[in-house]
Amino acid sequence: MIRVVDIHKTFTVKDKKTRKNKIIDAVKGISFQVKPGEIYGLLGPNGAGKSTTLRMIAGLMEPQRGSIEVFGYDTKTSSEKVRGNLGFLSTDLGVYGRFSPRELLRIFGEFQGVDAAVAERRGMYLLDKLDLTSFADVKMESFSSGQKQKVSIARALLHDPRAVLFDEPTTGLDVLTAKTVLDLLKIMKEEERAVIVSTHVLPMVEQLCDRVGIIFNGKLHGDASPKEILAQYGVTTLDEVFFKLAADGGEV
Amino acid sequence: MKGIWLVLKKELIEFTKDRKTMFFTLALPVVLYPLLFGMIGKMVSREVQQARSSQTRIALIDSSKVLEQFLQSRPDDFKLVPVPDGDVKQAIKDDQLEMLVTLESSAFQDMAEHRTIPVNVLYNKVEKTGQVGMKRLEDVLQELDKTTVQSRLLKLGASTQLAMPTEIHSQQVGGAELALAKLLGTMLPYILMLMLFTGSMQLGIYVTAGERERGTLITLLATGLPRHEIIWGKMLYVFFMGIIISIINIASMAFSMGTLFGSMETKAEYAAMAGQEAVQSMSIASVADPTIIALTLLLMLPLGLMFSNLIILLGIQAKNSQEAGTAMIPLMLLVVALSIFSMMPGIEKVGLLPYIPIVNISLAIRKLFVQQAGVLEYLIAFFMTVAMAALLTYISTKLLSRESAIFKST
Repeated sequence: MIRVVDIHKTFTVKDKKTRKNKIIDAVKGISFQVKPGEIYGLLGPNGAGKSTTLRMIAGLMEPQRGSIEVFGYDTKTSSEKVRGNLGFLSTDLGVYGRFSPRELLRIFGEFQGVDAAVAERRGMYLLDKLDLTSFADVKMESFSSGQKQKVSIARALLHDPRAVLFDEPTTGLDVLTAKTVLDLLKIMKEEERAVIVSTHVLPMVEQLCDRVGIIFNGKLHGDASPKEILAQYGVTTLDEVFFKLAADGGEV
Repeated sequence: MKGIWLVLKKELIEFTKDRKTMFFTLALPVVLYPLLFGMIGKMVSREVQQARSSQTRIALIDSSKVLEQFLQSRPDDFKLVPVPDGDVKQAIKDDQLEMLVTLESSAFQDMAEHRTIPVNVLYNKVEKTGQVGMKRLEDVLQELDKTTVQSRLLKLGASTQLAMPTEIHSQQVGGAELALAKLLGTMLPYILMLMLFTGSMQLGIYVTAGERERGTLITLLATGLPRHEIIWGKMLYVFFMGIIISIINIASMAFSMGTLFGSMETKAEYAAMAGQEAVQSMSIASVADPTIIALTLLLMLPLGLMFSNLIILLGIQAKNSQEAGTAMIPLMLLVVALSIFSMMPGIEKVGLLPYIPIVNISLAIRKLFVQQAGVLEYLIAFFMTVAMAALLTYISTKLLSRESAIFKST
């Protein structure tokens, strides 16, 4: 279970015109829960605070206020335990180009304390699911963005995490690769993992997510099933919910 | 603590995956220095040999024939040539002859009447052949002076020893080895520091700012490894590579220098330069015994740790590799400036220097090589650098654990 309770996060940035520091409230009191076997869709425009929220859940950033628990571990006091129970896929398509997928998975298996034989077996299973077996021993520097994304997904899931955070997993992917990723998300749901997916692809959310939260100006809206949200806003698509929120400055 | 070793292992494996970087970092110095020093050695030997084997061509204006017979008595050294027409200076520059020696027409008369004979010499000091020729001429004149004085004394019925009130019988504490040791002790810290810093700088940027740029840093931080262990692992990698690169470079340089000094001509050339007689045993091994090398390596450890801290600190703080590289240039210049400063002659006598970081390491190494008693200076340099490395490790761990240092774009 992922439990997010009233988290706040501010950043200090320098205004180039006035050359003064400016405080930006990136996240303003967000709360939600994700149960095992549930896929939670985190929606919102660019800069709404989705990635910041995911990074706080992953223990990479600390909320200034509020608390986050991942399967009983607090991100402030036990961030390493949290990360050990969590698979995090960042928006950066960062893979170590000098390694092959097999080598990368072996190394990250060690980082996550996975036995070498188990890491090899599970790594190959994931590469197979992601149609990458034939590239298992090829250096990743020549990989396409889709292939890199698939390797990143395999890396995030290698240690069999109970919670999974995917930040825009299908961005820049072709339809076939995106489908592979969606199928994998469904498998994770079946495997009783708590999954949070941040995305802009609204049809994917309607099709895949059990519940949806829309972050707008650092606040969470919705936090219900897609159907309930559509009914709540009196619209037929999530696009329209977005437009309504944008028109009202996120105060609907 | 396991995380430190895992990160170090990952960085080392990643390093070995790039053959080009491996070649330029580890293999090139092994090939480069012997080639470079070999070329220098060949050039020096050839020049010395040429200067020695060839006769000095002298145009002599000596109507009273005072000097002529002395020069002719050394056909291996001198060859008398006619005075060139036109500009003699230009003829010397154009390598038509080495020198023009002019004696007054009254030279024989002056000598008979016990007056000093002026010997005017025109030669090119810049050329090796000119230097050798001048040395040969000085030897001839010295012999001429000695013979003349002795014959005058004999004529007077006095002892020939009257012309030699004293005679030096010198015994040297250190021969050419000590001169080489001093040169090494002065040069080595500079080379060592430069290698230690620049050798690992690019690798340090690659594993810090480079990882941020490539988007892999966040994936590393998202693992269960404690953040400080990731930082220490990277620091250890930069430190380890710095030491390895320095050792390879210095070993290759030492081997090449040993070969260079091993050739007789170069040895004699260097010995002449240092004002010492050439000795057969002159080699790197003869001036740096294993204890000196071990003590020098021991000093490198805290220094390497200090440098790797600085590299990691600047690398992680930078937004990208370019910014990291730019940020490291002033630091590199500071290291170079401090090590050049420590090479200045007589600097070891300045009282405060043992307390200036980096400089004190240079001084300690210099004293080790010239075998001067400097236990206190060595200990001060060692423990001060250890303390600084520990302090920097603490500061960089604190600073780099902050999320603002890791998420630069936010």
